[in-house]
Amino acid sequence: MSPLRPMSRLAGVIALAVAGFFLPRILGGSTSVYDTLVVIAIFSAMSYGLDILLSDLGEISLAHTAFFATGAYAAAILTVRYGQNAWVAMVGAVLSSLALALVLGAITLRTREFAFSLVTYAAAIVCMNVASNWDFLGGSDGIVGVPPLDLSIGPLTLTAGQSAEFWPFAYVLLLLTLYFVHRFRRSSLGQAALMVHMNPRLAAMCGLDANRVRLQVFLVSAPISALAGWLYAFQRSYVGTDLFEAYFLVLMLTAVIIAGRRVLLGPLLGTALLMSQKSFASLGAYGDKLVLGAILVAVLCYSPQGLAALWPRRRAGAADAETPSSNPSVRSQHG
Amino acid sequence: MNVLQQVVNGIIIGHAYALVAVGWTMLLGAARLVNFGHGQMYMVGAFVAWWFMKTTGLPYPVAVLAAIVVGALIGAVLQRLLMKLTLARDLVSLMIVTLGFGQMLEGAAGLAFGPKPQTLSSPFQAMSLRFGPIWFTVQDAILVVATIAVFLALRYVLNATKFGTAIRMVAEDPPLTRLGGIDVSRVYMGIFAFEGAAVAFAATLVAPRTPILTSMGFDQVVMTFVVVVLGGIGSVAGSYAAGLCLGLFTALFGALVSPAYTTAAVFALLIAVMALRPGQLAASANFAR
Repeated sequence: MSPLRPMSRLAGVIALAVAGFFLPRILGGSTSVYDTLVVIAIFSAMSYGLDILLSDLGEISLAHTAFFATGAYAAAILTVRYGQNAWVAMVGAVLSSLALALVLGAITLRTREFAFSLVTYAAAIVCMNVASNWDFLGGSDGIVGVPPLDLSIGPLTLTAGQSAEFWPFAYVLLLLTLYFVHRFRRSSLGQAALMVHMNPRLAAMCGLDANRVRLQVFLVSAPISALAGWLYAFQRSYVGTDLFEAYFLVLMLTAVIIAGRRVLLGPLLGTALLMSQKSFASLGAYGDKLVLGAILVAVLCYSPQGLAALWPRRRAGAADAETPSSNPSVRSQHG
Repeated sequence: MNVLQQVVNGIIIGHAYALVAVGWTMLLGAARLVNFGHGQMYMVGAFVAWWFMKTTGLPYPVAVLAAIVVGALIGAVLQRLLMKLTLARDLVSLMIVTLGFGQMLEGAAGLAFGPKPQTLSSPFQAMSLRFGPIWFTVQDAILVVATIAVFLALRYVLNATKFGTAIRMVAEDPPLTRLGGIDVSRVYMGIFAFEGAAVAFAATLVAPRTPILTSMGFDQVVMTFVVVVLGGIGSVAGSYAAGLCLGLFTALFGALVSPAYTTAAVFALLIAVMALRPGQLAASANFAR
């Protein structure tokens, strides 16, 4: 990667971001193009929540569908039951996901890799079971009639109906998520997470409390998926227990893994690839499931470091920095 | 409320849990693998038996055998796919691959068998036995007896045969087993084939109780997950005990407290155990006891 001067690099990023905004128009601007891109933006934002945990901390959370669903349910309950506006719903989504993450984080504090994944999976099942039986959460019918998104502030009108109108909001959420993840990777917490992941002994010698870092990263990652869920509730105008389905989990995992770990645009490209197939080259519901599963299996079995590892021009050393759980020094800690 | 009948139901459900879980328990114990595709393998087992009976017209016991063969083949395919990761002991990637594998099976079964609910009809489901206030079907009795037989056979194989010794060695230390001149991949192949065959067998015995759907995989085995994790940590015998206890717990909790929240209660229990004793999962070398 050639070193670019900061200014020209910034200009490049801005140009790319602006170009991205006009992407649906470039692709023809039909309703289906807008709908697909909106869903890509939302689902990739959802995937970034998992990405932080998986790529930086090296743990695989199977509970991120629950955070995604928490955001969506908070939005639906606050707008439909209590008539609150979308901003309040946004705050509610973040706070409720933080509360859930705090509980889950405290429970899983002492568990590592294998046990961590199992406990988070069990937690997601408890959440789904509660959501499908508790009337307050709509039970198995879910909650219907989420109003259109309205983020107007004073004289500034910001409302979104469907498709083309919704696109700017989804795109802004995606950009904010990308910026946030980028900042996170350069923050002291992001660096600490990576050190705890790659070399726990060194981290301990540097005075880092691994459990504290883990909990903090968990708390940072949950609201990202929850915000995606918040927006998804408005886009779909109803929430239901299908948000907990393994489909979303497999989608997230595939999106994160397909391109490679710690590649900023990886989850976005992964989601884009998967959702484009579903929208424009669909093989029916069953066929799509088959494709999604096959991609996940093929990538992990034949190129566990993601497709980016096959790219010959990648920075030397990047491949070494991205061997997560197969790192012996990490594994010996809890073997 | 007939508590005695609930206890009998609990025992039957408990044996069903234990039988559905047995292959997975072996996977966790010997190969350290949590198979999230287990539910879909169960579903495929039930559908293969149904399809076999429908197309060939052969009786139910033959269909059971056919399902076992297909199940073992699916297990073998899974093993071939996971070979590289199993030898690298990349447990977390393995776990995710099984999630993807489950999605593949569900998609493929949907394409092959269609979206409609079907019934796997066993002639034993219609025959019932009655002892005073207690009632159960012949199918239930077969299920209980078969479960006990499978667990006893497994115990024998693990403890008294050469192949069983090899499995226990692989569970303990695969690289060392390879140094000992044992073909580790063949042992894994045996374990995976057993997993596939056992879950297909379980499916053909349990599935006649309810209609079958290609999307049922997850719901049918979600309880088994608890049996596997709680029981599989300790031993094969432990998973039998875990299955039985869980069956009694769900039957009584469902009848006396709340049927809707049974799953949540069981999983909350699982979370509590795992969060309090995370070290338990690592110590599975004595699984054959």
